[in-house]
Amino acid sequence: MRLWHITPSGWAGLIFAALAFFLFPALAGNLWLSVFISTGCFTIAVAGVSFMYARLGMVSLTQVGLMGLGGWVMLRLNHAYGLPFEVNLILAALVTMVCGWIMALPAMRMRGLYLALVTLMAAGGLEILFATYQFPNGGDGFWGVKTGSAAPFTRPALATTPEAYLRYVVVIALLCFLLIEAHRRMKPGRAWAMIRRSEAAAMAAGVNVTFYKTWAFGIAGLLAGVAGGLLAGSLGLLDDATFRASESVLIFALAVVGGARYWYGALIAATLYRILPALLNNWGVDADLSFVIFGAGLLHAVITAPDGIAGQIAGALKARKAAKGRAS
Amino acid sequence: MIEVNDVTVRFGGVVALNAVQASFSQPVSGIIGPNGAGKTTLMNVLSGFVQVHSGSVICQGVNLLSMAPHKRAKWGLRRSFQKEEIANDLTVLENVLVQADHVPGNTADKLAQVHDLLAFVGMADKTDTPGRSLNSFERRLTDIAKCMAGQPRLVMFDEPAGGLSVDETQRLGDLILQVHDRTGAQVLVIDHDVELISRICSETLVLDFGKRIAFGPTRDVLADPKVKSAYLGTEEV
Repeated sequence: MRLWHITPSGWAGLIFAALAFFLFPALAGNLWLSVFISTGCFTIAVAGVSFMYARLGMVSLTQVGLMGLGGWVMLRLNHAYGLPFEVNLILAALVTMVCGWIMALPAMRMRGLYLALVTLMAAGGLEILFATYQFPNGGDGFWGVKTGSAAPFTRPALATTPEAYLRYVVVIALLCFLLIEAHRRMKPGRAWAMIRRSEAAAMAAGVNVTFYKTWAFGIAGLLAGVAGGLLAGSLGLLDDATFRASESVLIFALAVVGGARYWYGALIAATLYRILPALLNNWGVDADLSFVIFGAGLLHAVITAPDGIAGQIAGALKARKAAKGRAS
Repeated sequence: MIEVNDVTVRFGGVVALNAVQASFSQPVSGIIGPNGAGKTTLMNVLSGFVQVHSGSVICQGVNLLSMAPHKRAKWGLRRSFQKEEIANDLTVLENVLVQADHVPGNTADKLAQVHDLLAFVGMADKTDTPGRSLNSFERRLTDIAKCMAGQPRLVMFDEPAGGLSVDETQRLGDLILQVHDRTGAQVLVIDHDVELISRICSETLVLDFGKRIAFGPTRDVLADPKVKSAYLGTEEV
């Protein structure tokens, strides 16, 4: 058991994060900066849903809804109290984590499709709330909504420009992946692996299955809250159309296509979700074509690549290494 | 001492265990019986996976049935399953450590114990091997180490020799015989392999159709005509 060991995949992640930190802000224009920031936020959200699926085999179809909740709290706190961005972000993440726990409690009695349906219903409920009450924009009252232009949003002191904000998002995303990896390597990760193997075997090993499943929901909720808070910070306001229940389903499907067991699976999923439509638009092609590509990707993953595109990349690298080993 | 008092389990109209009574006092005891006799159901009652209709189980003075399954593990109950439940994406060491994770103690001591147990079962050179790369005997050995992790008080093996060769079964039996000496835990073994049971178990309970048909010293039990007829049937003239 090596807690501090950096795997080749870990090194690749650190190198990619360094490249994203230094190169992307330097090379991208304003439009692409916005796309990359959004991709970074959704990478964190997908990482949450992938983590639940890969570690526990649980399907959560409410991740984008929880992301909206994190964004709502972020906007509300920003307009109400003028606290530092980081404090608002932590509070938004904690609120969504608690909501993840609350949602988990009734869902704990269900498994598989039924669990997915419960989470989808929660996403539907959040969608209705967002559509009815909208997102805070500096108005009065609990909901904080006013007509006319939105009040200014305070970005973090460290990242007031879009370039710096992209760097900020990259660092937070890296911290989120480290949080997941730390869990995977420690007691919770072992408990989750046993639960996924067999709940009976996990209980026989002393694992409190309800507690650890709830914990996993909390982590996924926390990541959704961070993602939503960062997205709110990027745009300064949010639109309810971003957080529809169907988006949660799409995010989960893309997590499967990308590869839920790998960190770069989440990145691939977010890239497909955010960068591919932007590229299609850039090329003058209808961005809705991306849905056709997603569908084809999902069929491909379900039929031939259960570990998604990331699993195929990992498999190809392993095969190449094995071939090299045989040759030498 | 494990006291099973009038335990009855019903699944709808089926009586899986019918007022089963036994007091296991030996370091290694066995439970045998034909398929469907209720052996695994009794083990599931002790583990907390099956609710009893009536009866009680007192183990070392503690009423086991009042505890949730994971709390029984914290108390010291260990069990293996018919199919070795080894997580494929955990290493051998982690598979054993997961059992020690949920008992009090510091991590360094737990790690030292896990390494010691893996050396005992002969898996010291496989500590970093992922579960998916193990063969069925290695998975079984890992399972035995797992059952000995923490401070076990009662260790139950459900058909541990299933699918193993004669040599592997021999080695497995040797290891099970040492579990009590190394941990102080009482051991219960379910198996169809009567030879294994007669070699390692001092006393044996025989179940048939959910009822106790014999209980006592293994040699006497195996010589009992009722046990022979349960296994071999009766001759019709």
